[in-house]
Amino acid sequence: MRPTPRAAALLRTFLAVLTAACFAAPAARAQLKLEITSGVTHPVPIAIVPFAEAPTDGTDVADVIQHDLVGSGRFTELARNRMPATPTNAADVKFQDWKAAGSDYVVVGQVTPTSGGQLALDFNLLNTLTGQSIARQRFVGTVASLRNAAHRASDVIYQAVTGIRGAFATRIAYVAIAGAGADQRFQLVIADADGYNQHLILQSRFPLMSPSWSPDGQWLAYVSFESHLSAVYVQRVLTGQRTCVSMRAGINGAPAWSPDSKKLALTLSGDSGHPQIYILDLSTQHLTRLTDTPAINTEATWSPDGRSIYFTSDRAGEPQIYKIGTTPGSAPQRITFTDEYNAGPHLSADGKLMAMTTRDDSGSYRIAVQNLTNGDFRVLTHGRLDQSPSFAPNGASIIYAQRPGQGQAGILATISVDGLTGLSLKPTQGEVRDPAWGPFIQ
Amino acid sequence: MTSESVRDRWLSIGMSVLLHGSLVALLAIGWWHFRHPAPAPTPPIDATVVDARTLKGVGAASTPTPKLKPAPQTQPQQTVPPPAQPAVGPPPPTPDELAMRQQAAQQEAQHEAEAQKHLLARQQAEQEKQAREEQERQAQQEAAAAQAAEAKKAAEAKAAAQAKKLAQATKLADAKKKAAAKLAEQKKLAEERKLVEAKKLAAQREAEAARQAEAERRARVADLQQSLREEEQASAASGALASWQSELESRIQQHWIRPPTAQQGIDCILNVSLVSGGDVTGVSLGQCNGDDAVRESIKNAVYAASPLPPPPNNIAYPHQLEIEFKPTN
Repeated sequence: MRPTPRAAALLRTFLAVLTAACFAAPAARAQLKLEITSGVTHPVPIAIVPFAEAPTDGTDVADVIQHDLVGSGRFTELARNRMPATPTNAADVKFQDWKAAGSDYVVVGQVTPTSGGQLALDFNLLNTLTGQSIARQRFVGTVASLRNAAHRASDVIYQAVTGIRGAFATRIAYVAIAGAGADQRFQLVIADADGYNQHLILQSRFPLMSPSWSPDGQWLAYVSFESHLSAVYVQRVLTGQRTCVSMRAGINGAPAWSPDSKKLALTLSGDSGHPQIYILDLSTQHLTRLTDTPAINTEATWSPDGRSIYFTSDRAGEPQIYKIGTTPGSAPQRITFTDEYNAGPHLSADGKLMAMTTRDDSGSYRIAVQNLTNGDFRVLTHGRLDQSPSFAPNGASIIYAQRPGQGQAGILATISVDGLTGLSLKPTQGEVRDPAWGPFIQ
Repeated sequence: MTSESVRDRWLSIGMSVLLHGSLVALLAIGWWHFRHPAPAPTPPIDATVVDARTLKGVGAASTPTPKLKPAPQTQPQQTVPPPAQPAVGPPPPTPDELAMRQQAAQQEAQHEAEAQKHLLARQQAEQEKQAREEQERQAQQEAAAAQAAEAKKAAEAKAAAQAKKLAQATKLADAKKKAAAKLAEQKKLAEERKLVEAKKLAAQREAEAARQAEAERRARVADLQQSLREEEQASAASGALASWQSELESRIQQHWIRPPTAQQGIDCILNVSLVSGGDVTGVSLGQCNGDDAVRESIKNAVYAASPLPPPPNNIAYPHQLEIEFKPTN
């Protein structure tokens, strides 16, 4: 029987498919499958090419960005003398050259004057491996805000590569001690997160302690002995307007803002001599007592959800960190068990990590981090006297006070939460202590 | 239906008609005689006896009604006056007497004539009556005959119709029977054909199956041999392949700078295109639950690892790699 044309066509199709399948099979076999289960935590190599800059106040924008990124521990820079070229536009970037120079990323940009008498900072983040532009942005401002614009460019670059919001364009507050003897002055200072752009917002002949940022970044609470006794003040950062919110008998100390900026956790001793943790409602001045033990309870800090307070207590003999609910009558729960001394807790914005000062076996005080989910405890610093840790709002770094050596003035330093990258902030005159990292600036 | 049976049927119908006709005729004659028992003088019956044979082969519709000839009008009998009887005895009459006698005779004759006339009139009336009766009788007879004929005709028609109906029914039944028989025959033939076809097809299939089984067996043998060969080659190559695979993974891992967001639980597929020198010519991200930084980092890892180390000599260079990034800690 002869096949019909239709049957013949079907047969041809079948044979074609069969043939294709036969040839496709080896191709399929040729696809290899790999599985990558780990990587490295090396810093990402990046080249920040000097920007084309109009005459400014001398700010080297590329240097500011590089300092931010490298200081975070997440990046490593390509030294300027090793750069294959100095392009300021993306179109002039020859990716192969930069890849050959070992940079995965290149940042190019310009600072140009605007018609309104301001400056515009333009930058472009380029991936030399894929040849693509990852981020580009323009910031416009005054000459005085050029450093801040550079920090904001750093924030964008940091987030594009690490996935974490940058916190370079944030501020810190700290206490500086200038002079000595009768001329000694205690100063409350606000600065950029890199230590530059310092602003004195309060100066006193009497000790100032424990500055604390309100979550909205508008206020600072602190302890002042200006009236010879301790008192807690809140001060509006921009205007300097301030109010004494607690000047009770005994100790008035360690203020900490609630997440909603409406309350302060305080340490008050009253006449008993035993400091206890209280919550002060700023609008009603109503006080709520949380702890009630014949021991020291101090250095309160809030959990991000506002339901708990972590604090230092020596109720077990040595100082340790405890957690207590913010509703009266809650039972405290001990959180730290590693080392004999753990004090001065501060929580990351996501509430997952707690930084503290710990005293190790050698008797050194260091900054440690405990994972509140699994209890992992890790010492991050290696100083002799490191204390007062405060998380950056992105949780990636911690600022703390460091006393490099006996008799040396205290300085400020940052450490990445993985403990790999530390950075000393711009040296200041005299002693600095009690740093507090402010929130993101909206 | 055979022609013989048709003929028989028609014969029986003819006979039946003849019989019925004869019976009707006899009945009519009998009835007529009963009603008119021998009138004097009896008028002759002028009837024609229909021969049944004349009906033979004639259809009911065309069958002539047997006609009874109407009885002829009975003619008034001519009364003949009796002959004059001769006088016997008395002497001859005087002229008066004669005259008287003549007058008497005349009167008598007149009386007689009148009597005769009355008689005649009476006879005539009688005759007319008879004739009327005869006429009525005849009319009745004719009506009866007509009725009988009509009945007969109707009976015949009915019989014929029945016969026709029967014939038609029979014919239809026969036709149906014939058709059924034909159909059955055809069906039987078709079934036989079908059976033959099925047997033929089964045989073909069996043959095809056997052929296919044989082909498959050969293919299996060939496959087995091929597998054995491949296995031998694979066993020789597997060590080298595994080693190369490990080398590739290690190289890519060394270049994967994990961003902080690439935590355990991240699972991303990257399809990589290669050229023979090991240079990565393109990457395409498949399913991935990581953020932009994770996606960026795994692409960078592969590009940064390029060119990838070449495979051992006995392994063909794959031009596609599927890499799953799945950090375990």
